[in-house]
Amino acid sequence: MAAMAAGDRPAFRQLYARYSAALFSLALQLLGDTGAAEEALQDAFVKIWLHAGDYDARKARPFTWAVTILRRTCIDQLRRRRRQPEAVPLPPDEFAPREFSQPESARRSADVQEAAELLRAGLASFAPHQRAALELALFSTLTHSEIAAHLSQPVGTIKSWIRRGLQELRLNHDTPPP
Amino acid sequence: MNESTEELAALYVLDQLEAAERAAFEARLLREPALATLVQQFETGLEHGVRALPRRDVPAGACDRIEQRLDAISAGTLARIERRLDALHAGPGPAGAATPRVPWMAWARWGIAAVIAVSLATLAVQSVRRPASAPSIVVVGLDQDQNHFADLPVRSIAPDPDARFIQLASLAQKFWEHPSALPLKPEPDAAGSTGYALFDPGSRQGFIAVDHLPVVAATQRYHLWLRDPATNRILNAGVLPLGEMNRGLFSFALGSDDSPLSDRPELFVTVEDRTLEPAPAQPHGKVVLGRERF
Repeated sequence: MAAMAAGDRPAFRQLYARYSAALFSLALQLLGDTGAAEEALQDAFVKIWLHAGDYDARKARPFTWAVTILRRTCIDQLRRRRRQPEAVPLPPDEFAPREFSQPESARRSADVQEAAELLRAGLASFAPHQRAALELALFSTLTHSEIAAHLSQPVGTIKSWIRRGLQELRLNHDTPPP
Repeated sequence: MNESTEELAALYVLDQLEAAERAAFEARLLREPALATLVQQFETGLEHGVRALPRRDVPAGACDRIEQRLDAISAGTLARIERRLDALHAGPGPAGAATPRVPWMAWARWGIAAVIAVSLATLAVQSVRRPASAPSIVVVGLDQDQNHFADLPVRSIAPDPDARFIQLASLAQKFWEHPSALPLKPEPDAAGSTGYALFDPGSRQGFIAVDHLPVVAATQRYHLWLRDPATNRILNAGVLPLGEMNRGLFSFALGSDDSPLSDRPELFVTVEDRTLEPAPAQPHGKVVLGRERF
């Protein structure tokens, strides 16, 4: 980050190589469209470049910081489209998906299902509704209050589920992220 | 750590806090190591979650398109800077209209590192066509047998040293990113070391770019020197803080001195003993870049 703040373009390319695939996947998950996802990815990396000097390692890891920038970029893009925040559909499960009324393409549903499968491996001990709360927190642009409304649960409960979900995700992986 | 704090930490990592909550949490984060550790644990969870998403290939050429945007932004930045420089050069505006001098300088220093663009390439090409009276910055190639020089005309040279620094930084950054735009080609020495500098004799400051310098012992460090051929004086231009790297782009400035400098200064880099206190005022160590004998 310090190198980027000093205008080091190779450092930028290195960061891009490390993060772009994960960030693009997340953008695609949040926006549901390849073109929009690339636009958001571009916007996010431009912001990362321009604001690298503001990065504070005491407050977040670079990956978290980049995810935050991307997520906010996606939210801005959705607002520009003047659309309501879109919920990620949940996979068929014990948890009833009736809260989600947005029609989804088959491909997107498959993507989310695949993501859910992967997450499920890390959250095997989780109840489906708890898992749903974490998936929404990670892979949608909903706020935790909106998640609570969607899942018809108190905000405090949602906070607790998200906290436990993140803890489980960390504990169920022995190796650090790539 | 109580559950409420843990929940705050989870929401912080997921960027789910309101601005005021986030600011308050960050203030705690800076003074509570245990909280910082907890946040790092949640960050690991976040990263696992994001990386568990089905992998999608980023569209081909996306990185190039981003870099084109960065170049365009840099070009816009240069244009703004040059407009400012022109305004400074023209002197103060009408009475009552304060010159907004400071804000852009404050961020500019190294922060502007993203600078210039296409205009520079043409600028270098145009150098041979400019009249001799056009203001210019000196480009010095630190070659082994002798320094080589080229004038780099600029539209204007700001009267203010800070503005000149920014102008130099802009040019240096651009050439660092696009060395092919340099008006001269630095020749590597036998060890493969190369270097060039941009120098403004008027403000006695410049930037030096070095590459493939030889590895030195931990007790040694690189010193940059300037020899004024008009007087044969050798001036200390400072230490190059390369650390463990063997390349980098660095600014340098000579001490304040009223005596004029030649516009063809010779630059060279030596390896000096870092334990010497005070630092040597004249070179004693081996020359590793630039002309070896004077």
